[in-house]
Amino acid sequence: MSQSSVLSSLSKINEKYLMFRTVTSQTDAGDAKFLFSAKDNLTSKDMETCSGSRILEGYRPPFDATSIAKMREAGGLLIGKTNMDEFGFGTFSTNSAFGVPRNPYDLERSCGGSSGGAACAAAVMEGHVAIGVSTGGSICCPASFCGVYGIVPTYGRVSRYGLLDYGNSLDKIGIISSNASDLGKYVAIMAGADPKDPTSCVQPAIGSRRKLKSVAVPVDATEGVSEDVKKAFKDGLEGLKSMGVDVQKVEMSTLKYAIPAYYVIATSEASTNLARYCGMRYGHQDGDLSLKFDDYFTSFRSQYFGEEAKRRILLGTFTRMVGFRDRYYSKARNVRQSIIEEYRSVLSGCDAVLTPTMPFVSPKFSDISKMTPVESYKADILTGPPNIAGMPHASVPCGYDRDGMPIGMQFVANHWDEGVLFSAAEEWEKNFDAVRPEVSI
Amino acid sequence: MDRETVEKVARSAHLKLTEEELERFSRDLGDILGYFTILDEAPDCEGFGIDPIGVADVLRDDEPRIELEPDAMLEGMDTYDNYVRGPRLL
Amino acid sequence: MKIGLEVHVQLPTRSKLFCPCPTTDAPAPNTHVCPVCLGLPGARPMMNGKAIEYGILLAKMLGCTVRDTTWFARKIYFYPDNAKNFQITQYDRPLGEGGVYYLNGKKPIRITRIHIEEDPGKIKRVGDLSSLVDYNRSGIPLAEIVTEPDLSTPAEAREFLGQLIRDIRYTIDLPDDGERSIRCDCNLSVGTERCEVKNVTGLRNVERALTYEMVRQTKLLKAGGKVVRETRRFDEERGVTISVRKKEMEADYGYIDEPDLGIFNVKELADSLKIKESPHNMIIRLTKEYGIDDKTAKQFVSTSVDLAKLFEDLAAATDAETARTWTSGAVSAGWRAFEARGGTDASEVVNIVRKFVDGEITDTECGLRIKAFLAGTDIDSVSAGSADLDAMISQYLDENPSVIEDYRKNEKAANRVIGHVMKQTGGAHSSADIVDATKRLIGERL
Repeated sequence: MSQSSVLSSLSKINEKYLMFRTVTSQTDAGDAKFLFSAKDNLTSKDMETCSGSRILEGYRPPFDATSIAKMREAGGLLIGKTNMDEFGFGTFSTNSAFGVPRNPYDLERSCGGSSGGAACAAAVMEGHVAIGVSTGGSICCPASFCGVYGIVPTYGRVSRYGLLDYGNSLDKIGIISSNASDLGKYVAIMAGADPKDPTSCVQPAIGSRRKLKSVAVPVDATEGVSEDVKKAFKDGLEGLKSMGVDVQKVEMSTLKYAIPAYYVIATSEASTNLARYCGMRYGHQDGDLSLKFDDYFTSFRSQYFGEEAKRRILLGTFTRMVGFRDRYYSKARNVRQSIIEEYRSVLSGCDAVLTPTMPFVSPKFSDISKMTPVESYKADILTGPPNIAGMPHASVPCGYDRDGMPIGMQFVANHWDEGVLFSAAEEWEKNFDAVRPEVSI
Repeated sequence: MDRETVEKVARSAHLKLTEEELERFSRDLGDILGYFTILDEAPDCEGFGIDPIGVADVLRDDEPRIELEPDAMLEGMDTYDNYVRGPRLL
Repeated sequence: MKIGLEVHVQLPTRSKLFCPCPTTDAPAPNTHVCPVCLGLPGARPMMNGKAIEYGILLAKMLGCTVRDTTWFARKIYFYPDNAKNFQITQYDRPLGEGGVYYLNGKKPIRITRIHIEEDPGKIKRVGDLSSLVDYNRSGIPLAEIVTEPDLSTPAEAREFLGQLIRDIRYTIDLPDDGERSIRCDCNLSVGTERCEVKNVTGLRNVERALTYEMVRQTKLLKAGGKVVRETRRFDEERGVTISVRKKEMEADYGYIDEPDLGIFNVKELADSLKIKESPHNMIIRLTKEYGIDDKTAKQFVSTSVDLAKLFEDLAAATDAETARTWTSGAVSAGWRAFEARGGTDASEVVNIVRKFVDGEITDTECGLRIKAFLAGTDIDSVSAGSADLDAMISQYLDENPSVIEDYRKNEKAANRVIGHVMKQTGGAHSSADIVDATKRLIGERL
């Protein structure tokens, strides 16, 4: 599809897949070098920014997120803001206040989450560059469910200025695309120190592409993983071996603590970040100001936050309360250090740690609605560890199940070592027969 | 988690829960914290970090500057005489 | 009775704590604001290095320990002036801890901690219907100094605060704009439970609020009542404290470490920063080190810290008594003239006094030379002026010999001479010179 035909058919495409929360009204791409979308939790001057939440409906930020500004400077045209779970709270993009994006391989299934709209856009529009954000798996999960490539750079690699915070010590901005070569190309554009985000100011320069020579597979990597995923992952390993990559087994004893530790840190931080949404300054501000401030704030928050947002606010408020703070918040951060140390030790002997990306293929919406919170949290079992550790990681498609649903595998590299992931994805793409979804509008 | 605790936490978080929510969240949070008990057995480690990469000593020079037109920021806000409107205090 | 204070000082940075917005007076509400201090989603804090420097200087002045690393925390509370509904402050690892500060050089007041935090915005009340918020103040850097409850009376608290404020101003060159930039939370307990009176501005109000609270609590306990732990506010007009809300238990704040700023390795900076000795500490040190009395030390320091430093240089070059004599006499007498001519380096005085000590010049010549140097004139004109003055005094003493007899009984008798000379000369000589010369000439006749 040419750039102009993408622009002219954008609304139609979106009607079918609901991957966008907002689309540009522009129909002429002008001299844009490329088209890109951004997750709806990145601020953009010309488009509403809601982070999938009703509470921010109508909010027009006065500034661009650094990542968006850099893409624009590089000649990109922002065509829309992609749909997502409210504030990133979800694994299936079913927690958006603005409709649920549909999987391009099966409209009855999820795109994954929370960057579901981004992965959907990347899968449907070939060559489209989608900026996603990952806190605990929100790029690799949807990339895997939608059969595309996704990369999460090292924590602090891409400035978070203009990112509506979920968990500040976990949030990372990355790229989703159907082309492996886009990962390295566009991460390099967005990366770099930004005086508006201190955590971006300690990074070394992005290294050049470095050939992947060895991977380590944790011994329990496929524990609790579905048969179809196991098979595709095995094929993936064989494929890597045939490319000359050395495959080792490794014992990683701390990874099993990653999910609970992740949810504690993420919700502790999230519950403070979301305190500011209270019916003043931005979003809905149409309440009764003669209410006492506590009641006024409470009325907005109770009315406009969705169910999962409330659940995580409650959880995070609890885990940092006096009397519980040490057991949950402090402990979880200590566990994070253990996980980082274990990754570093394993990665001193190989280039990447390899696992499947998700334990199952994208589930049907009817099955998702039956899942308990703990069941859906556990879906992050493989994407959680690199995210809590801030390690760069990438998901590549590695097979399809009997229904043709895509399956992905995930490479995890050491801090700042994105170069090996760029190369691994590009080399893999040459050897993998991708099956594109049928797109008819 | 018992209902009193959920109510206390909700009050602190400025959320008013319906009967149905109170019941559901009590159950959910109980399940979730039950799952988290695995953390108790995780071994302790020496390291400390607020973030995963050890951000340290990032400082700004003390140079005053107006970066964005203040009016642009107030545009979407409910204001009166350039003040931002808020709820009653007492 | 126990009193502890939490003193908030606005640090004199040019830009705010976490954003570059100016800290100067703004032309209108919400004009010195940006996404950071308005708490707009997606904006994040960036630390002003100068605020950390000021904080360390104060920590050292208060005798606090500054540890290798320090970091920040979020304190969560919902209020319309609190742009993010959390305040970035310090919790687990404040800038300084465990200091001691001496009231009048004698009574130790323990300093629990000193930390840096951001000021919230300001609320203008409009009737009872709603509030109006100005975020210009949001993000101004504050140092909060917390004392242990070591103060015993409202008057002592006032005295302590006055001394502390003077020392703070001197240490970080805080401009004296009334007491506007210093606010105080006052904790007082007569029995076992304490109350906190928030946000009191000004020394006098601190004493008034504490006195009211002392009387209120004492009466309450006498009547068999119980003091409830709570936050109160001081009504300046009526001079009473009013209950605002039950003290939030700490659980509600739910502190977490601020994840956007990282940590700060401040040890090296702390070691390299030298604090100026506060005027108050200098007075104490001068009395101890040189055996001079409190009044003399205070006179030196309050005239000028530079004068006190010259005294120390003189003492090092000669001895404490010689230094005291000349500093109290000729040097103090000529100091204003020295400052008026923009003099900065007074080390020549040390050379002059050395010559006197070595017997190269006489007492009188030494005084003349010092005077000439400080005034920036040549010795002859000083000498001539001085001779005129001496002549006039001598003449008066010749005509009124009773002065000498009276002076033996009471030194105040010299005032007659001084008064006469002042009248006659009409400001041609400084009063210090006249006093000096009078005492010298009377001394010669005793």
